[in-house]
Amino acid sequence: MADDELNTEDRKPAGPKPLGGELILPISGLLFTIYYFTTIIDVPWTAQVSAFFVGSILIALIIALIIRTSLRVKRGEATLGVAPLFAPKEYIPKRLALLGLTLAYIFFIEWGGFTITTFFFLLFAMLLLSNGKKKGLIFGLSLALSIGGYLLFILAFNTRFPLGPVETLLKDVF
Amino acid sequence: MEIDWGLFGELFVRTFSFWWVILPAILLGLIVGAIPGFSAANTIIILLPMTLAMEPEIGLIFMVALYASSRMGAGIPAILVNIPGTAGAAATPLDGYPMTKQGRAQQALAISFVASVFGGLLTTLIALVAMPWLSQVAYHLHSVEMIVIMLFGISLIATIAAKDTLKGLIAGFFGLMIGYIGADVVYETPRGTFGFLELYDKVPLIPALVGLFAVSEAFAVIEGESILTKRGMAAMQKAGWKETWEGVTLAISRWWHIIWTSIIGLIIGIVPGAGAAIASFVAYQQSKTFSKTPELYGTGHLDGLVAPESANNGVTSGTLIPLLVIGVPGGATAAIMAVVLQYHGVTVGPDLFENQPELAFGAFTAMAVTYAIMILTVLPLARYMSRITVVSTVYMAPIIISFTLVGSFVPRAYVFDMYLALAFGVIGYVARKTGYHVAAILIGVILGPLLENYFLRALRISEGDILVIFSSGLGNILWVLLIVSLFVPMYLDKRRTRQREQAVPTTTDC
Repeated sequence: MADDELNTEDRKPAGPKPLGGELILPISGLLFTIYYFTTIIDVPWTAQVSAFFVGSILIALIIALIIRTSLRVKRGEATLGVAPLFAPKEYIPKRLALLGLTLAYIFFIEWGGFTITTFFFLLFAMLLLSNGKKKGLIFGLSLALSIGGYLLFILAFNTRFPLGPVETLLKDVF
Repeated sequence: MEIDWGLFGELFVRTFSFWWVILPAILLGLIVGAIPGFSAANTIIILLPMTLAMEPEIGLIFMVALYASSRMGAGIPAILVNIPGTAGAAATPLDGYPMTKQGRAQQALAISFVASVFGGLLTTLIALVAMPWLSQVAYHLHSVEMIVIMLFGISLIATIAAKDTLKGLIAGFFGLMIGYIGADVVYETPRGTFGFLELYDKVPLIPALVGLFAVSEAFAVIEGESILTKRGMAAMQKAGWKETWEGVTLAISRWWHIIWTSIIGLIIGIVPGAGAAIASFVAYQQSKTFSKTPELYGTGHLDGLVAPESANNGVTSGTLIPLLVIGVPGGATAAIMAVVLQYHGVTVGPDLFENQPELAFGAFTAMAVTYAIMILTVLPLARYMSRITVVSTVYMAPIIISFTLVGSFVPRAYVFDMYLALAFGVIGYVARKTGYHVAAILIGVILGPLLENYFLRALRISEGDILVIFSSGLGNILWVLLIVSLFVPMYLDKRRTRQREQAVPTTTDC
């Protein structure tokens, strides 16, 4: 999907290309590498060599990209805009809401366990993405998937899934 | 170790009589292989009480069948929803997923199944006959040679992200730095952990895989009604049995490609610790390097799907060779097999071929029989499996997020790993949106700890002399090959561009 979108970007009328988003990962990599170096200062040099070798190459590559981008901006071929990262704009609220739901899912699964937390996550996330349509289908699907997941992974395969009150209660039953 | 053809024949017939063990193992393997976080190794551990209760021969057949089928299973979600079931299938979506988006999921699955089965079958038979010689490979590879092999892996990054080599290299080296997080194996000093105890034991691979591929994909696909393009949706709705058959014939027509890429997998599989992920990317790179249409790789190129699938199945038989011949497991699953066999009083190593040849060679005949049965059982399913791609993203995205995040919890039972997967998801999303390849980051995360370990060992042996990396004859040959493999694609690219430029005026003249 992202590929399609990049193609869509390519088809847009010619003009300066927003390249600011392309610098997010390299700058994060640069900051992380510097932080990493500070954590290996006191270790024997045999343990430093490999990280300095890889980290130095990464820093050199990032500098090369920054120079390349700067030159393109200077020539008027590109800007430091970050539009492609958030395009299409109408999906920003949905994406942020889905991210919030995912964070809540991880937070509550430790206490609620797999079955009930997954049911609520699927229910709310599907309702969010469907704009509140097909409520009955979504409720049934969420219920079936969470119970199916419990039966297959926890009961049949005895997999290490997060356990909560539902799983504890059902353990006594089965 | 002599070759006894009569024994091989007897073993094949005998192994076929255990179809009732192989068939359920295949189905189980396909399921666990397809779910990120569930590996053959984990499943064998979960089923340990059952395998320990079986006769050693039956237990071994069950484990081998599960192992081989899980390898194939990992490619199914990689093709259908861009989520590799294991790191070994991380190169599969590069061309498999674009085929799915074009509505050719059924064809892609059939190609993957045929390439996996024939690649796996061929390398198993080669391993069976050439085991005494192949086992010597592992003896010649020490830390120095392994450093060069790891750097070979890193050089693949540039090839994978061929549209922009600089960005590809940045993604790969960023991944390597992430792979360096954790305590080092010699001095046990925590590095780059941000104070998280959960990262002292390195960055776990499953959350990285889940985040980079699954979570980021789920957040990206919500922009459309389906993962398919409009044309792809139309093609999917018309699809029948014909597409499966076309996939089979297309894969068979690439028989030579299957042979040589699966042999790459076999050789890499013999090296303990190298694994299917490296093998599949090496095969992908080599396939692209020698292709007449390298510019089409990443857009649904058939050879780009055949190469990683046949290579990662070639690894399966390769990892058993060091286990059975020298007693060194080639991977996690092989290590667990060794534990089960030792429980039954079977000691793996050279003596096994003298004392219990039916077990030693039986592991390979079981694998060959598994592949033979697997093609018959899995191929008809391609049509039905491919239907998953027409499911609306309204349902697909939340299902992917919840089940893969829980999958990242499974290996260590840390909720922290779910947060980690989400963090990788954000990295993956930014990477997708800004033209960095998530596979390049993942290769870095996989190779980082391996590269560091070999560096540490080599430097400790040489008492800190960095020139040790040029001290081995074989290592130096590998250095030369590495440089050649970096520059040959560039040269071939330039030559093709020149030829195209020369061809344009000629066409205009006509």
